[in-house]
Amino acid sequence: MSEKISEDIKKLVIARLETLPADKKISIGSFGDYSKTELIASVNKGDKVGKKIIEIELEFLRALKEGIVQ
Amino acid sequence: MTKTYLLTRPEHDDTMHYLSNWSKGTIDAAKKAGIKVLDLNREKATKKEVEGRLKDLSPILVVLNGHGDENTVTGHQNEPIIIYGENEKLLKSKIVYAISCQSAKVLGQKSVDAGAISYNGYNDDFVFFYEPNMISKPLNDKTAQMFLEPSKIFIETLIKGNTVEEALKRAKDKLRSNINRLLVSSEADANMVRYLLWDLNHFVSRGNLNATI
Repeated sequence: MSEKISEDIKKLVIARLETLPADKKISIGSFGDYSKTELIASVNKGDKVGKKIIEIELEFLRALKEGIVQ
Repeated sequence: MTKTYLLTRPEHDDTMHYLSNWSKGTIDAAKKAGIKVLDLNREKATKKEVEGRLKDLSPILVVLNGHGDENTVTGHQNEPIIIYGENEKLLKSKIVYAISCQSAKVLGQKSVDAGAISYNGYNDDFVFFYEPNMISKPLNDKTAQMFLEPSKIFIETLIKGNTVEEALKRAKDKLRSNINRLLVSSEADANMVRYLLWDLNHFVSRGNLNATI
């Protein structure tokens, strides 16, 4: 079940990442700097950066649910 | 007695280059306020230099730009400069702001336990977007500004003599204002909201919120 949810979340996160501006990069602390394409690859691989991006997305979804972000 | 402000500004990678440039403006603000500035830039941002300044010159305000983890903040070429269990006692009687990943998680509280007045920073990874074509002019990078200007506001609010609580409020207000602005922008930019919200949620203060420099 958790694996299924994980795959669903992955798809959701990748869909979000696809819409990020292609001309920008993100600095994720000690992990380094990543382009949109590299982030998507990390989420697909499930590496540490990918897991961090998923964590950020889940926290955002919780904030939406709690009404912190309209 | 003249107050002293110590900041580290390594610049060995893109992240440090941006953090360094965005905190550079606080040097002038401090000088205008009559505060002595110890600017440990690039190869000067080493453990030896930082420890020496902390011991000999007792700065009241310490800003550390660096990478990090829950126990460490690093300097030039990622050399650990403040390490829990080794030298966090050097932060005694100081207000500290670490613009680095995770250090407020453990090192922050342990520094306060060891006598730091206040330790401010992030209890998880600090993230920001930037425009690679603006790397030679990071202060003109409007994308990075949304993420990095709040940190500058935090420092400048302290320099003006406000409390840690007020500095945190103003920095977080700026992050919220940037979030609200992005929410009504293009879909591409609006998707950066989740990353600003992350920085907002993980920006924390340990120690005395009523302290001033």
